[in-house]
Amino acid sequence: MSNKNIKVKDYIIKSAADFFTPIGLVLGLYIILHGHLSPGGGFQGGVIVASAVVLIYLGYGYEKSSSTFKPNILKKSEAIGALMYTFFALLGIFYAANFCRNVFFNIGNPGDLFSSGTIFLMNAAVGYKVLTGVGFLILLMFGLLGNKEA
Amino acid sequence: MTQHLPILSIISLFIGAFIVALIKEKNEMLRNTIVLIATFLSFVFTIMMYRPIILEGNILTYWMGNWEPIKDWAIGIGLEVDQLSLFFGLFISLSIVLSALYSFRYIERETGKDKYYVLFLMMSASVMGFIFTGDLFNMYVMIEIMTFASVALTAFRNDRPEAVEAGFKYIAIGSIGSSLILLATVIIYAQFHTLNLAQLAGELYNNYTAITIFALALMIVGYAVKVFAVPTHFVAPDAYMVAPSSISMLFSGIVNKAAVYGILRIIYVVYQSMNLSSMQFLLVFWGTVTMFIGVTMALAQHDFKRLLAFHSISQIGYVLTGIGLTTALGITGGLYHALNHTLFKGLLFLCAGAVFYATGTTDLDKLGGLAKRMPQTTLIFLIGAFSISGIPPFNGFVSKWIIYQASYEAGYAPVTIIALIVSVMTLASFIKVAQSAFFGQLPKEFKNVEEVPLSMRIPMWIMAILCIVGGIVPSTVTKYLITPAANAVMNSAKYVEVMMGKEFASKFYSNLGSAPVIDYKLAGYWQPIAWLILFGILLLAFTLVAVLGGFNPKKFSYADEEDAKYDVFFSGESAEFSHVGGSDLFWGLKYQFRHYFDFMHKIHSGLVNDYALSVVLTAAVILLYVFTFVR
Repeated sequence: MSNKNIKVKDYIIKSAADFFTPIGLVLGLYIILHGHLSPGGGFQGGVIVASAVVLIYLGYGYEKSSSTFKPNILKKSEAIGALMYTFFALLGIFYAANFCRNVFFNIGNPGDLFSSGTIFLMNAAVGYKVLTGVGFLILLMFGLLGNKEA
Repeated sequence: MTQHLPILSIISLFIGAFIVALIKEKNEMLRNTIVLIATFLSFVFTIMMYRPIILEGNILTYWMGNWEPIKDWAIGIGLEVDQLSLFFGLFISLSIVLSALYSFRYIERETGKDKYYVLFLMMSASVMGFIFTGDLFNMYVMIEIMTFASVALTAFRNDRPEAVEAGFKYIAIGSIGSSLILLATVIIYAQFHTLNLAQLAGELYNNYTAITIFALALMIVGYAVKVFAVPTHFVAPDAYMVAPSSISMLFSGIVNKAAVYGILRIIYVVYQSMNLSSMQFLLVFWGTVTMFIGVTMALAQHDFKRLLAFHSISQIGYVLTGIGLTTALGITGGLYHALNHTLFKGLLFLCAGAVFYATGTTDLDKLGGLAKRMPQTTLIFLIGAFSISGIPPFNGFVSKWIIYQASYEAGYAPVTIIALIVSVMTLASFIKVAQSAFFGQLPKEFKNVEEVPLSMRIPMWIMAILCIVGGIVPSTVTKYLITPAANAVMNSAKYVEVMMGKEFASKFYSNLGSAPVIDYKLAGYWQPIAWLILFGILLLAFTLVAVLGGFNPKKFSYADEEDAKYDVFFSGESAEFSHVGGSDLFWGLKYQFRHYFDFMHKIHSGLVNDYALSVVLTAAVILLYVFTFVR
């Protein structure tokens, strides 16, 4: 596997990464957004989005991928995702009956993207938390991989 | 509002953890404020449940997202707080607040404090979630969060190699435990297609097959690994020793207690209709072995916190024995001891932390004479030591007495005798600690140590006062805390009825609504106030004799000064010229039982492979036992 000290010369992997990264991102985001309509959801979509980090690492090496996705920001974003989830879950207490209760679900036609109330937002929050969290973990492990001392 | 209290007390800690993760590491003031607010809110929410649940005897149920059971089938995740859950919740949330308060100054010199508090709050929140949930898989998830947070906190001082090593051991053994719990959960789910504890209790009522018994055995072993019952305890001393003291306190105070709660919940609620007396021998035997091996290992230790860790194992043995007796009195004693153990062991760990904060070491060979420099810590330590050894006006005596009485009444007289001996040995080893850390000569390098700051003393004093209160008014504590909890343990029909509805419960239980009355009388003459007065008189007399005998607290005596009082003495035959230091007060005992101690040292090899093997062997033995005897 390529090391962060070695310049990337493998054009096949690089062009494959260029090609597949957008597909992975779009597919992952699609799965997150359609969590309430189709199989999958926040967690699964988030992991697929995080796979973009792997692709960029394979194509461009550690340095490029860690400067593209800044680990510190990813770490904070994960906490923000978790806070967003608890916020939308607490809305259930304020507006209806219970924690995690879906509220505002009477909007739109069933089957549409915006038709499900806060469950959609909770799903998006989970997706955000997972994509940042898993992305951060991947970067962390690749960082250790390049580190000869560890 | 009342119905939301369980989720609020859990989620406030989780929100605190996520907010702390956002704050910059340098911003200490803001972070401490948020940690304090989050833990305190959780404590307040738990206190607010006291009135409806314990005083009025209700059980709170809470269905996440209003997913209530349909046609007697629980689909959603439910929280259910009964008297037992709340009893555990009360002292757990209290020790979380105290530990947070203590941490602020205690870890001020460390780096990575932001991570510390995130993990701290995650661990606390997961324990609260574990206690309040009514869902088998939720219990697994929470115990997993708890394990991983505690592993990371064990390795918090990662500049010390032993901390990283202990973290590795903990993650290996802890994961085996979690895997067993997960396997059991999966088996039960495959059998009954539900995870709700109340529904499972109904479905399992007099409906045991080989596979559910298998799940029971796995579950018990899994939680025993989390409790650190004896053949699985090897990780505990390592982990407790290297973790920061505020965390060691939580390990023994809340992580262990959560697993005790798990065992109680599984045996007395989910598997309530099995022949409990077949379980009795296993748990009593296991608890007795745990308390004995824990205390003998503690006698041989030279490190303050490692010694406390072995005592923690030993005291958990008492709790296991108490709850394993399956009588009302035994459960009362076990629960009382669980509460007391949280108080006095937390107190002692905080004392060890104070000593570490002041001197930078917890090695008993290096310490000495700290009573002159740290009088309050010494006083608090003595209160904790008296409590844990069961000296009359303190709380440890009451709970141990109930356990002695219960084990004797249940026909386990040998257990009573062993429990008494273990109590004596506990006192002996704390005399050793007091003698080598707080009394004797002060080494020169500790000439300038100072008493720990106020914010560290406040939690210690609160726990010390609670220790005394628990010993002086045992009947009040029993009436308003322990008996309702013990009642809830004995009356699992009500748990099922409230969670799943009367219709569902009446399919299985014929005696709905009738709780067994717990009525008992403490054996022997027992007057706490008289004991307190006697204790005060003895203390006064002791002080008087000491002062008249020329004791001068102002005069310091350092280790390298000539003082006949502290002369080295020589004794024994082959060990003729051995120097007997304060931390080796019981070398004679160790010499007499050298074969036993050699064997013990060989077992505690420090190799994680051996430890994992012992967990697997335990699982095998428990499986054999459960398949043979449990019906």
